[in-house]
Amino acid sequence: MAHLTDGTLRRMVDDPDAKAGADAAHLAGCAECQARFQGISDDAHSIATLLSVPEAKVDVARAFDRVAHAPRSLPAFGLRLPLLRPAARPLTLAFVAAVAAAALVVVAFAANGFFFQPSTVRAVPITLSDVQALAQLSQYGTLKWTKEPQLQVTPTAGEAATVSGMQPPTVAKLPAGVSTTVTYGAMPQAVATFTFSADKAAAAAAAQGKTLPKMPAGMDGATLTVTIGPAVGEVYGDLNRPQPSPDVTQMNLPRLIVARSVSPTVTSTQVSAADLESYILAQPGISAELKKTIQAIGDPSTTLFIPVPVEYGTSKAVTVQGVDGVALGDNTGVGSAVVWVKGGHVWVVAGSIKQTEAIDIANNLK
Amino acid sequence: MNLGARQMSVTASEDQGFEALFTAEYARVVGIANRVLADPHEAEDVAQEVFIDYHRLHSARAEYGPAWLHRAAAHASLNRLRGARRRQKREFAQALEEGERAMDPQKQAELNEDRRRLREALARMAPKPAAVLVLRASGLSYAEVAQALGVGIGQIGTLLRRAEATLRKEVTHGTSN
Repeated sequence: MAHLTDGTLRRMVDDPDAKAGADAAHLAGCAECQARFQGISDDAHSIATLLSVPEAKVDVARAFDRVAHAPRSLPAFGLRLPLLRPAARPLTLAFVAAVAAAALVVVAFAANGFFFQPSTVRAVPITLSDVQALAQLSQYGTLKWTKEPQLQVTPTAGEAATVSGMQPPTVAKLPAGVSTTVTYGAMPQAVATFTFSADKAAAAAAAQGKTLPKMPAGMDGATLTVTIGPAVGEVYGDLNRPQPSPDVTQMNLPRLIVARSVSPTVTSTQVSAADLESYILAQPGISAELKKTIQAIGDPSTTLFIPVPVEYGTSKAVTVQGVDGVALGDNTGVGSAVVWVKGGHVWVVAGSIKQTEAIDIANNLK
Repeated sequence: MNLGARQMSVTASEDQGFEALFTAEYARVVGIANRVLADPHEAEDVAQEVFIDYHRLHSARAEYGPAWLHRAAAHASLNRLRGARRRQKREFAQALEEGERAMDPQKQAELNEDRRRLREALARMAPKPAAVLVLRASGLSYAEVAQALGVGIGQIGTLLRRAEATLRKEVTHGTSN
């Protein structure tokens, strides 16, 4: 019989029951395997000692309370996609990721007074507390969709182009390991208005036990008009696998998502740029780091903010197709994304690929 | 029942399911992150972010819930370990285990140095073997580790061994038993 593999010997260290049958008989009579077993066992115990930590004591009820009060979706100002309902997965989920990234995540608080239309991107650090504070803003008024976002999944690029009025981006060369199965999605333009209400803001804050900064004069009753899309994109990967599956690799996000959206705009005739920015940054819960970053950006009315969770994701500025872009994630292949604005469109390449691959795809996107 | 009421009832049942999942898995998810970060507070941050992500995107009643959470906890905490800010942090303050307090200071210093180097090496390692090691060290069975990472149970021994052999080379002293 051949010698036992490292994997088999390692399993024997953990599981005395594995030391039975033919493998155990071999081990008992093979000095070489016994020596390897000893080495593997020693390594396992050494590493276990070094990885040991005092047990964390947790207060489950308190932790649940904290999580239960966290917002369920990121976009503030009430721009929560109707598509995010639990019934809407898994197919739509992928497109929510794609199109939301291109069109939605962004808009929220970057609204700078009279007219916001990004022509460049910047990553800003964001903490859980920031997310909570920004989501809270959605309760300071009334959101109405005048044109609801209607995401459509189409089998061909042609139909996606008909729905959105734009051709889906074409990937020049897929990285190895990415499925060539492609599904297209498109969204016509969607428009929402958000009307500030000092009464609603006060009530929302009171419910949270917080004191608000004073709403600037003229903001009560002022309306922001938010336009997103149209957007179009495609997802590489087989989306039709049965769910739920015991094999969790199959519920991975698709390997690669590519999308473009007409740059979102926010307009207001009643609120001034400076007032809105300072009011938002004065909200309880906004971190000093986020404040500093936003205030350091000269003209936020042309900058698309990409929220990057502090210490969770990494981001860096990159040049994509000759313009400034933001690359998120790392080179481990767990996940990365590139976002940039060019020609009046927001572009996104994202997936469980390496950052270098994402940048390469972005540079060769047509 | 009109559409709005039905939507609300679906939401209520979903919320109850999420609370049950949270109660059942929170301590274990924190345990996984704490194993990587050796910092209970940071581990709780990671665990809460993982649950929020899960709640945002998945049904609380999905069979894959626990497996998803375990994997996400391992990857999210390993990501933090890799983060630039973390690397700049020179000191590695870890409370000593029971039984280690009696060690002489020289040995304690060596052990702490090895723990720091081990976590640096863990941050550099390929995601899959690193996650296998972390999940197994957190008390998950081979079957649970296999399910969390979507690999065959027969591969767990091999991946564990690979991770341990890699790490063993990085630490030079203080590990003999």
